[in-house]
Amino acid sequence: MDIYIGIDVGSVSTNVVAMDQNDHIIFKEYTRTNGQPLESVKKGLKLLEEDLKRIFYTVKGVGTTGSGRQLAGILVGADIVKNEITAHATATVNFHPTVNTILEIGGQDSKIIIIQDKMVVDFAMNTVCAAGTGSFLDHQSERLGVPIQDFGGLALTAKKDVRIAGRCTVFAESDMIAKQQYGFSKAEIIKGLCDALVRNYINNLGRGKALKAPYVFQGGVAANKGIKAAFERELGCEIIIPKYYNVMGAIGAAILAKEYIEVSGEETKFRGFGAAELAFKPRSFECEDCANCCEVIKVELNGKTVAIWGDKCGKWANSVTG
Amino acid sequence: MRIGLPRALLYHYYYPLWKSLFEQLGVEIVISDITSKQLVQEGVKVTVPEICLPIKIFNGHIINLLSKEVDYIFIPRFIGVESGKWFCPKFIGLPELADYTIDGVKSKILTVDIQGKKESTCEWTNYRPLCEALQVTPKELKKALKTAERVWQHFRDCCKQGFTIEEAEKMCSEDMRGSERTAHHTHDITLGVLGYVYNVYDPFVSMDIIKKLHGMNVRVITFEMLDEKRIHEKFKRKSKNLYWTFTDKIYGAAVELMENHQIDGLIHITAFGCGPDSIVGKMMELDSEKFKKPFMTIRVDEHTGESHLLTRIEAFVDMIKRQKISERRRELA
Repeated sequence: MDIYIGIDVGSVSTNVVAMDQNDHIIFKEYTRTNGQPLESVKKGLKLLEEDLKRIFYTVKGVGTTGSGRQLAGILVGADIVKNEITAHATATVNFHPTVNTILEIGGQDSKIIIIQDKMVVDFAMNTVCAAGTGSFLDHQSERLGVPIQDFGGLALTAKKDVRIAGRCTVFAESDMIAKQQYGFSKAEIIKGLCDALVRNYINNLGRGKALKAPYVFQGGVAANKGIKAAFERELGCEIIIPKYYNVMGAIGAAILAKEYIEVSGEETKFRGFGAAELAFKPRSFECEDCANCCEVIKVELNGKTVAIWGDKCGKWANSVTG
Repeated sequence: MRIGLPRALLYHYYYPLWKSLFEQLGVEIVISDITSKQLVQEGVKVTVPEICLPIKIFNGHIINLLSKEVDYIFIPRFIGVESGKWFCPKFIGLPELADYTIDGVKSKILTVDIQGKKESTCEWTNYRPLCEALQVTPKELKKALKTAERVWQHFRDCCKQGFTIEEAEKMCSEDMRGSERTAHHTHDITLGVLGYVYNVYDPFVSMDIIKKLHGMNVRVITFEMLDEKRIHEKFKRKSKNLYWTFTDKIYGAAVELMENHQIDGLIHITAFGCGPDSIVGKMMELDSEKFKKPFMTIRVDEHTGESHLLTRIEAFVDMIKRQKISERRRELA
């Protein structure tokens, strides 16, 4: 069987999928990055290798995406390294060809992608602020003592509405404390929080965009029933949650890798599952040669420098050949 | 005598002019360093927090020049270069802004009022105060201005052939003359990159967006590459005059590019805190819907991370490239 591997290294989760030549997903793994992107990719690859022992296969192509796409791409020997927008849109269109709007909320960023006839025609991403993303919900679940898995379900049991200020995480938090003191229940507070997050998302990312159904909601936060319900209330129609909602980026990377290999006819650059054993050492340092003080990232493989990036002048990046 | 030129704001548009002018008048020019993280931080530290990023950067360049032992720092007051249009108030008050922000700069400020009808700024009355400061006669100043204007026009002509400001500046300097250069390399798509020269051409603010786009096989058109008359025509058709010289130019350029079928999309680069951009940005956004042109705004401040910017540009370029491929496939089918 020919398989294609997709890897999405995000700030919060690292996802690995394997797909056959008919775009069927035969393996998926969603793990927390925990600040160690390389370790989580290696872990994902090991699990995949274990799983694949049940079949005969050849790896035909590998794609990476997410904020750690460059690093992961070097580790595994990726054929394509793609941005998250293209990866997510590619996967969604594959499963839901009629989609018009993709709502994606991940660990530390959120995006909205507008699709027409299977093509991306517009998109927006949140900027520096992480209000209204998965990390924010994580933090609040901890504060309220409600496990994140139960968060959304609890919101659905709320009897009353309570309005929480959702513009900024810091203010949302103080507002929640105040509303708790007024005597609102945890369920009501959580529902208010879901509404606030969705309101903030639509106002910031959807501003000035023509939002049209069908809507597909994906990313880790799509597991949260409370947020789904809040989106349905706000948009006034049903929201589709794809089967593989939390690994869509990785699936997109796999599909893009397949497209690339098919068009170019190239052999994959995949280093093999042995990559998980390789002694990769990424380290970063602040270059002191000029006033820019660039943070340079350097990756070593068995003591040899294989990649450097992050410098404005290109002096370090260009020092690596081959 | 050594005169410092801050490598900021309209330096990016008028450098060839000022270089020629001052050199003819027997003055040594000292240019501040290329904008760096440290230089920006110096500027941010002394400037009022509410003001826009380009002014903070400008102040950083002045501080940089103070350490270079210059006799004067040239801070022109740009009021207007065409009738009925003005510069943003921060340009009109630039010498005072510097004086009240930076200690020890007052005695070094060399300023002139730019207020006339020529974009080249070369009416000699504009530069009259230089006679006293530099000990030159009005006759010498007039002669130098005439030559400087010619140099600047040559620079502008190079821009209009499709060269970036950096390339055009190099072509204007003696050593580059006659070398074979071409502005039209192969490309998959063409994008308009709109924004003030001090945002687009400052490597810190724009994070070298033009170079990044060239690397992705994208041809880039900026407002100063377009013919002024056509930009002006576009603007005259609009019911609203924005009153700001460069804001009008950018808006006119946006309309010109949106009407052009060879342009695949537009990117607007704006610095956080820019008043005029908050209006013109929205106008361009609304027009882009009308013309069905992909449009993206990139807003930068002193904290902007490069990876975020790169993701956006990559996604935007990808979106357009993939649309083109699918269109071509449909045509073939």
